Amino acid sequence: MLTINKKTENQKLILKLEGRLDTVTSPDLENELSGSLDGITELLIDFEKLEYISSAGLRVLLSAQKVMNKQGVMKVTNVNETVMEIFEVTGFSDILTIE
Amino acid sequence: MIDNNTAGLISLDLTGRIDSNNAAAVEQTLMAAVTGRPDAPVLLDAEKLEYISSAGLRVLLHLKKTNKDLRIINVCPEVYEILEMTGFTEMMQIEKAYRVVSVEGCEEIGRGANGTVYRIDQDNVVKVYNNADALSEIQHEREVARLALILGIPTAISYDVVRVGDSYGSVFEMLNARSFSKIIETEPDKLDWCVKEYVGMLKRIHSTLVPEGKLPDLKRTVLSWAEFMKAYLPEDAGEKLLTLVQNVPHDDHMIHGDYHTKNLQLQGDEVLLIDMDTLAVGHPVFELASMYNAFIGFSELNHEIILKFQGFDFETASEFWHKVLVAYLGTEDPDRLREVEDKARIIGYTRLIRRSIRRGGQESEEGRAEIEHWKSELLGLLDKYDTLLFTMNEMDIEAVNDNLPRVLDFVDRNLEKAECSPRAKMQIALAVEEIFINIASYAYTPGKGHATVRVEVSEEPVVVTITFIDNGKPYDPVAKDDPDITLSSDERPVGGLGIFLAKKTMDDVSYEYKDGQNILRLKKNL
Repeated sequence: MLTINKKTENQKLILKLEGRLDTVTSPDLENELSGSLDGITELLIDFEKLEYISSAGLRVLLSAQKVMNKQGVMKVTNVNETVMEIFEVTGFSDILTIE
Repeated sequence: MIDNNTAGLISLDLTGRIDSNNAAAVEQTLMAAVTGRPDAPVLLDAEKLEYISSAGLRVLLHLKKTNKDLRIINVCPEVYEILEMTGFTEMMQIEKAYRVVSVEGCEEIGRGANGTVYRIDQDNVVKVYNNADALSEIQHEREVARLALILGIPTAISYDVVRVGDSYGSVFEMLNARSFSKIIETEPDKLDWCVKEYVGMLKRIHSTLVPEGKLPDLKRTVLSWAEFMKAYLPEDAGEKLLTLVQNVPHDDHMIHGDYHTKNLQLQGDEVLLIDMDTLAVGHPVFELASMYNAFIGFSELNHEIILKFQGFDFETASEFWHKVLVAYLGTEDPDRLREVEDKARIIGYTRLIRRSIRRGGQESEEGRAEIEHWKSELLGLLDKYDTLLFTMNEMDIEAVNDNLPRVLDFVDRNLEKAECSPRAKMQIALAVEEIFINIASYAYTPGKGHATVRVEVSEEPVVVTITFIDNGKPYDPVAKDDPDITLSSDERPVGGLGIFLAKKTMDDVSYEYKDGQNILRLKKNL
């Protein structure tokens, strides 16, 4: 299960994720992003309530990062220990801006 | 037309042709027969009816208006076609004429609770039902067989209903098929192959989820057996039996209900399940109970019984049953095998005792000896166990993304007994997801297929081993180069991290290709 809480403030998009970002749920995030990034210069993804991420979730994050490289910044916030470990193992801790 | 009015039911024959030339006369005769008895049921025997025109159909409609309970039987194919085309088969009860088939001198190839299966010629078998009024049973079996087929279980579907003496039968096409009983009897060196195929089909059945309400729940039936037994067991034992059955959770997975080796057929190189009338949903312990009875329980005191029923002897049956249990449970641990067998025996003996009592078993010395034997075994087992549940450490599942939650749930349940930290649990879930999704995405494309997942936990040192087996294209994911994780986000390709993550979070990931199967093993030291 993944719940996505979405908020737009002018050119800033905030997504709060809750639950699991895995093979079954990451298409939901992908769909959410694909329709919302036009004109966005700041993308904030809040991981506070995200418990789990697999490679399917990493794909979506990297795709979003590639888009945002061209039009602004992307930040991932409140990453818990388990998810942080996955970011470190895969080098994502170096390519994402994590706060 | 002959009028042979019997008590209550008005029974009439329709003969020859009914068209505009004689419709008025036919109507007069019919109306005369039902005059003054508007509510009486009417049975029209159309065995000798060759043709009916629209004028004739109108006569039937008029009759239906005065006497609603109208049934037309023995309708020949030509007339049936007219009735079907005009929608009459939906307005009134119309039954086709059945082809008559004789089974005299035919080989008996199977015998179940509800009927006997004979081979009538090289290509066809007929299942003759014990119950003389079996049309509703036949309808039920056709429906469940169709359901099973839709859900991916290979089975034969009857194409024709026939009369056999005073009974009804269903005809199935079975080209040169041989039952597994026959194979075991005549080719003993194929026993292990039979075990493998038999267990493969069993797992397939048990991993099939049935939409709610489509099949009866076997637990209800078993509960009624346990209720019955209360009168024949000491009070506390009777109560315990009932509680054990009540505590088996509802399960929406399919069970065959009469899964012995006569009901599995080899046709060419395809394995087919037959005799589907007992199809149900429920916990696998109920299935194992009926299997135990088929191979051991029935013949426990009189070893000749199995030879008569299956064609192979008690020793072969015992060996087969043991090997089936080993393959089904994925373990050779004698304690575990004993435990699961015992739990199956609790239900098995319950059924045997009830069955024998209902058939007058208490009236013969032999019957009493059997009942006493089963009862003392049952009482011993009831003393020993507090649940009928057992965990399976192996599952067979269709390799599709949507099944991921079920795989994760299955792995989780198997890790309960191991003391697993939340972190290790998460890492195992991650590796399992990556490997399973890899199989789901690539092993069978563009088709679909199954995967087997096995979870083993060893003690001292505590190591979790999870094995994935598929029959798809040979592919060694371990051999793939690790991605370059030093590249920038613009340079890095999207994807390709799944197997890498599994390698990083597990202590060992190994691959082999053996007997046409991809075998991938994950190991995690706890």
